[in-house]
Amino acid sequence: MVAALRVRDLTIAGPGDPPLLDRLRFSIAQGERIGLVGRSGSGKSLTAAALTGLLRPPLAVTAGTIQIDGTGIHDASPRAWRTLRGRAVFQIFQSPGTALTPARRIRAQLAEAARIAGTDPRRAVAHALDTVSLDPRVADCFPYQLSGGMKQRVLIAMALILRPRILIADEPTTGLDVLTERDILAALRAMADETGAAVLFISHDLRAVAAVASRTLVMEHGRLVDDAPIADLARSRAPAARQLAEAAHALQAPC
Amino acid sequence: MSDQPLRIPALRLIPRRSGARRAGKRPVGLALGLVLLAGFGLLALAPVVLDLPAPDEMDLLARLSGPTAAHPLGTDHLGRDVLARLVGAIPVSLGAALAAMAAILAISLPWGVIAALAGGRTDAVMMRLADIVMAFPMLVLALAIIGFMGASLEASILGVAAAWWPSNARLVRALVLSASHRDFVRAAYLAGASRLRVVLRHILPQVLPPLAVIISLETASVLLALSSLSFLGIGAQPPTPEWGAMLNEARPFFAQAPHMLVVPGLAVTLAVLAFNLVGEGLQALLDKREPYRW
Amino acid sequence: MLRFILTRLATAIPTLLGMSLVAFLIVALAPGDPVLMELRAMGIVPEPEDVAALRSEFGLDDPLLHRYVDWLWRALQFEFGTSVATGRNVMTEIGLHLPATLALAVSALFGAIAISLTLGSLAVVVGRYTGAGLRGLTILLVSVPSFWLALLLIYAFVLKLGWARLVGDGSPSDLVLPAVTLSLAAGAALGRMVYERIRAEMSEDHIRLAIAKGLSPGRILIGHIAPRIIGPLATAWANAFGGLLGGAVIVESIFGWPGLGQLILQAIAQRDFPVIQAYLVLMGLIFFATSLLADLVVILSDPQLRRRLSDE
Repeated sequence: MVAALRVRDLTIAGPGDPPLLDRLRFSIAQGERIGLVGRSGSGKSLTAAALTGLLRPPLAVTAGTIQIDGTGIHDASPRAWRTLRGRAVFQIFQSPGTALTPARRIRAQLAEAARIAGTDPRRAVAHALDTVSLDPRVADCFPYQLSGGMKQRVLIAMALILRPRILIADEPTTGLDVLTERDILAALRAMADETGAAVLFISHDLRAVAAVASRTLVMEHGRLVDDAPIADLARSRAPAARQLAEAAHALQAPC
Repeated sequence: MSDQPLRIPALRLIPRRSGARRAGKRPVGLALGLVLLAGFGLLALAPVVLDLPAPDEMDLLARLSGPTAAHPLGTDHLGRDVLARLVGAIPVSLGAALAAMAAILAISLPWGVIAALAGGRTDAVMMRLADIVMAFPMLVLALAIIGFMGASLEASILGVAAAWWPSNARLVRALVLSASHRDFVRAAYLAGASRLRVVLRHILPQVLPPLAVIISLETASVLLALSSLSFLGIGAQPPTPEWGAMLNEARPFFAQAPHMLVVPGLAVTLAVLAFNLVGEGLQALLDKREPYRW
Repeated sequence: MLRFILTRLATAIPTLLGMSLVAFLIVALAPGDPVLMELRAMGIVPEPEDVAALRSEFGLDDPLLHRYVDWLWRALQFEFGTSVATGRNVMTEIGLHLPATLALAVSALFGAIAISLTLGSLAVVVGRYTGAGLRGLTILLVSVPSFWLALLLIYAFVLKLGWARLVGDGSPSDLVLPAVTLSLAAGAALGRMVYERIRAEMSEDHIRLAIAKGLSPGRILIGHIAPRIIGPLATAWANAFGGLLGGAVIVESIFGWPGLGQLILQAIAQRDFPVIQAYLVLMGLIFFATSLLADLVVILSDPQLRRRLSDE
């Protein structure tokens, strides 16, 4: 079976600078959910940007390949990217507060996604909001009227409508309280269950990742230092992985 | 009227050596603008070096002639050498623009800085006063001032300065406000630095680069306005050589002598272009944010 | 909504009063005997021996505030006195020429908006080199003085091609060249602003999401960028209109368009103070009104402010 995502020796750098991502190598199978963890600044968001073609110039892919469903995309043209984005790969970003267009209602922004996916907007929007446990009246709101958690769930609803092969969730729960976090993770699982998308869950918080994924990648200083089931991290050879596992465990001590 | 949010470009006084050299972002415009300005500066010195006739020297036998050996750019309706007048106009046109700009800054800089730092009532009153002057279209106010003062180059400079200073003051105020709200300025205050020290060491360096952009672009605008006023006959008075005025004098004759039409207009365009290029070039250098590729 | 408008108008009153004060006090700029200048501002050019008598007759002995209030009262009724040069009622004269200037300024504004939207959007979507070329063209257009451009256009279209004429009777076809002259510079300046605004928006997070969805640049421009920039654009348009009102003077005098331009230039030459004062007041009023309108657009384009508006 062709892997949904196959990354080989991916290297990203700015002109004349040392690489920010160094020979990354991993795969995600169809429908598989894996995490991507690491300290702040280890290159997680950069990886996500490369996978959606959103690297900010002058950064660029200087070596390696990215393949989605067997098709190489690391050198895709802007026009090719437009077909890939939303359908092959979609990303939801951290700080949902600024991710939605302030001047347009939720319904319009979700309907846009429906049109890209080629489905009936009304039904798709209603169903998506229901799946992420949002009140249907949310559709008529403007982004400023929603809380951070609600906005994040709107983004997950958007992903649900788009039905991408691969969904990248970049720190979706960072900065939100635990109750909201629980709702968002539930919505994410619901979305993945329904669409069968492969999920790359990026976070610095191992506990959140564990709620969605069973396997995780560990990054440090732009390098991939481990790729293992979460349960095995405490025994990892990489110190960074062990530290993360320890920290997650310590935080989970009974109150 | 309403405060427009000003996007303040990040400051980098001394560029990082190890920083990525931006591929293809050479400051072509800026260089071109500076070259043009230098060109004008050099030309202004031409009478010292070259043997040009005086701008006022009339040779009625040779009036309205095209380019010749004796008169490389031709002569005007009074037989005066166009090249000599063009060069003689440099200190007048550019000098007037710089004088007006100096006057504008003399008012707007203290006005904007004080309003921004004082805040509260003082700020409100000062801005209201600026708004009152800004409520008139700029050229209209300048015309009215000239109308009452009597047409002359000085009146046009004062008129333009009086009409242009409030928008400048608002921009200065916005820059100072934005600079003083940065966290490191607050930190300096907390660390006990005196007001003056904070202004000099923390606020001013942030404000100067965008201010340089504003000054450059506004000098271009002021130069355009002043030469327009001279063109209308209410700025520089004959026989003072001034590019706009030269074009005005050429008007009745331009069917017969189109060459008189080209040069002064070109001179104004190039001078204004120079300031615009410098301003835009500086702004491009300061603006680090690259948009996402869509 | 109504309360908002009323509040806005209430805060506008001090500014309007300030403007009237500026227009009243501007007479003080005139060099020469202040009394003579004041009489002149009322439309009277007396013999020297009559000055003292006229002074008390016209209340110039009264305190400044009193004179200001009198003047303001008359100005509110659009009573600006009689022209020194022609002896006719100032308001009537201005009323004859104002529509032509407004027609010119408004059509130039529409032209400038059209040019700027085209230039600005194009500059964003085209490749690096075409983009640089467009930006160079923009800077050039902004640098060309309108009076030179007008003369060049006359040379080309009137003298050489004979497509237009320079008769000042105000028929619409004569509006084309003057309006085009004004639109080009204003359009280029606005275009630069449109380009910068779009570029600034393109660095925003919500555009990043729109791109991630796979939307085409056109859709992003219209659906996600336009609603955000319409506010600042409206303000820029209002400012441009002010510039056009002033720039019209230059263009009218060159093309012989029968607007206020010729009137004010004559008034300056002949020191016709009542006309100059009335011109200042009226232009100020018109510009003030357009700025107010732009402020309204800014508020209406932001959903959060709109909600607050309808709640009031």
